[in-house]
Amino acid sequence: MSEENWIEVGSTDSIEEEDLIRFDHQDKTFCVYKLTDGFYATDGICTHEAVHLEDGLVMDDEIECPMHQGIFNIKSGEALSPPACEDLKTYPVKVDNDKIFIKID
Amino acid sequence: MKKNIIILGGGQAGIYAAREIRQNDSKSNIKILSEENLLPYERPPLSKDFLLDKKKEEDLYFHSSEVLKNENIEFENISINKVDFENKKLFAKNDNVYSYDSLLISTGSENKKLTLDNNLKNDIYYLRNLEEAKKIKEIVLNKNKITIIGGGFIGLEIASSLSQLQKKVIVIEIGNQLMGRIIPKQIADLVQNTHIENGNEIILNKQIEKITKKNDDYEILLNDNSLIETDFIIAGIGSTPTVKLFEKTNLKLDNGIVTNQFCETSIKDVYAAGDVSNFYHPFYERNMRLESYQHAQNHGICAGKNIAGVKTEYTSIPWMWSDQFNLNLQLTGICDEYDEIIERGNDINNGVIYFFLKNNKIRGACGVGIIGKVGRDIRITSKLTEKDTIVDKQILSDQNLKLNKLIQK
Repeated sequence: MSEENWIEVGSTDSIEEEDLIRFDHQDKTFCVYKLTDGFYATDGICTHEAVHLEDGLVMDDEIECPMHQGIFNIKSGEALSPPACEDLKTYPVKVDNDKIFIKID
Repeated sequence: MKKNIIILGGGQAGIYAAREIRQNDSKSNIKILSEENLLPYERPPLSKDFLLDKKKEEDLYFHSSEVLKNENIEFENISINKVDFENKKLFAKNDNVYSYDSLLISTGSENKKLTLDNNLKNDIYYLRNLEEAKKIKEIVLNKNKITIIGGGFIGLEIASSLSQLQKKVIVIEIGNQLMGRIIPKQIADLVQNTHIENGNEIILNKQIEKITKKNDDYEILLNDNSLIETDFIIAGIGSTPTVKLFEKTNLKLDNGIVTNQFCETSIKDVYAAGDVSNFYHPFYERNMRLESYQHAQNHGICAGKNIAGVKTEYTSIPWMWSDQFNLNLQLTGICDEYDEIIERGNDINNGVIYFFLKNNKIRGACGVGIIGKVGRDIRITSKLTEKDTIVDKQILSDQNLKLNKLIQK
């Protein structure tokens, strides 16, 4: 696994539990989540219409789009409720020295 | 027991009901009878991304024909013109006869039409289905000054799309505010400002006296004697449930088909769901008829469960949205039964929400903001409403305090 694709997002205390932050890198937007069992990352834009998921609601393992209530599983990216039908891309996350990193391919 | 289940109406409620029945019942025959020769598709984009060419026809279908085939759901394009509830039969115009053990009516709703001289009937356009959207999309290419009659959701969404296509748009509304049937005036005024800032003309409190055709253009005379010249007219003046087929039967009708909280009608083994149903909502303890995406889907699913023998109450808190320009407007619950209104936020860039409370509990809320800014709070509001939570009004009114603090787990 190449080390160079791990990108630092921020410190672990920058996200409240059951919440998310938006992270922009180059021309892409990601969402990084803190759930009860750790950190996760997905694409930051809903697959249904181009809206940022950073304003969405995190409940348990799910992120709900603020525009039309499409729901995705944060861990798998699976689209769980219409109007979303295309899955959300997910990314590996690691924590090192209280810093969060995501692996962007 | 293997049954013949017929779903009359191939819209969103119908397809979601069909798939839900199949999830609970692998044996029964499920057949959708649809007047439109198209698989069930999403209607919300028709007035927005479809007109703007951001979504194509193929993007609109809920499910492919393969999904229906795999789940053994039949879909037939046919027009039914007679129902015999006593003998459980439907009669088609082509003399086909369909027998059912259980029937779901999901015929939806249809546009109210303007009362006009006969010679103008084909000149006014309406938007409900894909065919109408295609026609409008094609015709507006060559039009420049377009009049929308009716300042409700559909009219305003079309007005927003046409403005984005660089058209001059005039909206004429009979009432003293936009979206007056269900949206609070404070929110409607914010939306109106955005239309005006984007160049649309909004005319309130005016009735149409007469429309006259002048060569390829039209003159619209209003009740204050003002005259509007326009080259294309689209009307969106509300809708009525599609129940003509049942008017001479003993099915109980009252602003749609009257159903209980289990989607059951007054006739045994006959169910109704979606726009056509005037259903009993146990939370609000009253009947209501809703025309929205979320309702069509969830009510269809609930009907599907009940038809398959899984007795399920419909308790979903109403929710709907409208997208106009860069605004996303959302409504949850009902906003006409309250003893207190609380405002959260005052800047459309961060979102503005009005909560409608009764006995310190939220009954409904309506908000508008730049896309993405009200959705989370409205969603939390739906949950607070559903749980009948007594809310801390300080948190509701202070946009710096997160609403999820109010959710009791």
